Amino acid sequence: MADQKAEVPLAPRLTSAESEALSARAGLNEMGVRPPLGRYIKQVWQRRSFIWNLSASRAYSRNQGSYLGQAWAILRPVLDAAVYVIIFGFLFHSSAPGIDNRAAFITIGTFTYTLFQTSVMSGLNSVPSNLQLIRSHKFPRAVVPLATVMTETVLFAPILLAMMVVVLVTGVLPGMGAVVPTWSWLLLPFAAALLAVFSAGVAMFFARLGARAPDIANAMPFILTLGRYASGAMFLISAMVPDGLWLKPILLHQPVAIYLELFRAAFGNEPLIPMTPGLWLEAAAWAVGVFAIGFLYFWRAEETYGRD
Amino acid sequence: MTEDIDYEIDPENLPDRVARDKPLGAPSVVVDDLHITYRVFGARRGGTTKQRSSLWDKMVSLGRPDTGPITEVPAVRGVSFVAHHGESIGILGTNGSGKSTLLRAVAGLLPPSSGRVFTSAEPELLGVNAAMLPRLTGERNIMIGGLALGLGTKEVKENIPGVAEFAELGDFLYLPMSSYSSGMASRLRFAISTIRTPEILMIDEALATGDASFRKKSTKRIEEIRAQAGTVFFVSHSLASVRAMCTRALWIDKGVLIADGDVDEVADLYHAYVEGRTDASSGAKLK
Repeated sequence: MADQKAEVPLAPRLTSAESEALSARAGLNEMGVRPPLGRYIKQVWQRRSFIWNLSASRAYSRNQGSYLGQAWAILRPVLDAAVYVIIFGFLFHSSAPGIDNRAAFITIGTFTYTLFQTSVMSGLNSVPSNLQLIRSHKFPRAVVPLATVMTETVLFAPILLAMMVVVLVTGVLPGMGAVVPTWSWLLLPFAAALLAVFSAGVAMFFARLGARAPDIANAMPFILTLGRYASGAMFLISAMVPDGLWLKPILLHQPVAIYLELFRAAFGNEPLIPMTPGLWLEAAAWAVGVFAIGFLYFWRAEETYGRD
Repeated sequence: MTEDIDYEIDPENLPDRVARDKPLGAPSVVVDDLHITYRVFGARRGGTTKQRSSLWDKMVSLGRPDTGPITEVPAVRGVSFVAHHGESIGILGTNGSGKSTLLRAVAGLLPPSSGRVFTSAEPELLGVNAAMLPRLTGERNIMIGGLALGLGTKEVKENIPGVAEFAELGDFLYLPMSSYSSGMASRLRFAISTIRTPEILMIDEALATGDASFRKKSTKRIEEIRAQAGTVFFVSHSLASVRAMCTRALWIDKGVLIADGDVDEVADLYHAYVEGRTDASSGAKLK
């Protein structure tokens, strides 16, 4: 090759079959292909401390750059709840017939929906907003939506405490039933954990869609607002939706409505919303099922994340 | 032969030429007829783009005749080669010729549009814009980078002082990355990527911002990796560095492999080509 000065040197080119045989002989693995599900789950599990560190760092840097800093994490849902309490708690008296403390009912509904809403929204954006990370390191991509939902869950802990305080305060508002803390409040973190698992499933589902078509981010706020109403965050579905409507059983048993009911039952201040084992079972089943579906759906496109 | 003057690096700072009489090891990377096509959103629909004028396209791009919803850019078109252990391969090509895309595909970060890539281990890609979270401190970035590489928490913690020392950060370790100079950031990136000696290391222009002393240090580290029977891919516009650090070179133009062989032969050809070229508008060829 060296003596043919004018010729362009080009190493012998192998055919596809030869390349494959050579790779197999040398024990090489193919790149850019989706790993089998079992190995993928194992890889994600091995990166659990990566998920944790990534989400903790994100949680920390989230509210930097404003004067009130981390306080906004709590102020935002409080203001959100205040708007709905004024409208649905005081102006529309009939939004929740049979409920002694409409303000607490609405507060629990809107605060709880916050966890679902922020998880899905940040899950949707998780792949585009972590593109740099995805393009420079190779790791199971499910880490990205899982870490973002973990961030929202970590940030929900102070929100949950704020929710308890606000619910106690609603007890002294005029026309609202008194609120007394009970032992069942200790179950609230477990209810939040189930909701977080469920939200992670939904977030992974939307993460794949958001990675492929960024347009969905524009439509998502409207879908989530619709979801807020369809889950009865500020009114009682069982009383407000007419009995004959075919949609009613769906509205009552759709997962987000179940989680709102679970939180309200755990607060234990409304005789109309009792806590039953069936409610917990239903909540757990939704969490496990939706998480599995979301994970599978996300994994199916594993090799495409990071491509323009 | 070596008359090409390189203004980027002072001649005395060039590393000694690597030994090239070592026998080659087993194959470490096999690339088979690789094609990579990018999707670009909202790109100009000029003479370069694929013309599509279905009713749907017209509706989507309503009122903006010069933008199409999606343009396809073929960045790598049918590249094949085999790399071996102990080989150090320079990749030459003008701007936009598909060098970085090729490396990212071999690293498994970009899925091939068609064709296949086989490797003996997870390659470690060191690029100019590697992931760094600018609002977090250098220490935190080391932690996250190390975990992304697949190391355990304990392992990364043990390595933080070493990485910080190699990157010469000093007290900047505890400041957010946004306060770093570009040289500091690139030193940190290099240090993180080489925490664990990778079997296959790819360097994409990543050392260009370092100063002379760091360049020396990083060259030594790269040489160590190659000595441990690793494979090193090296993208640089500095022909002198490529000649010094590599044993073999690939020349890619518009996504097609033009030449593949001994570094001096390929570098001479490439040098002649670049010198003879007056028009700098190359770039990937659009369909």
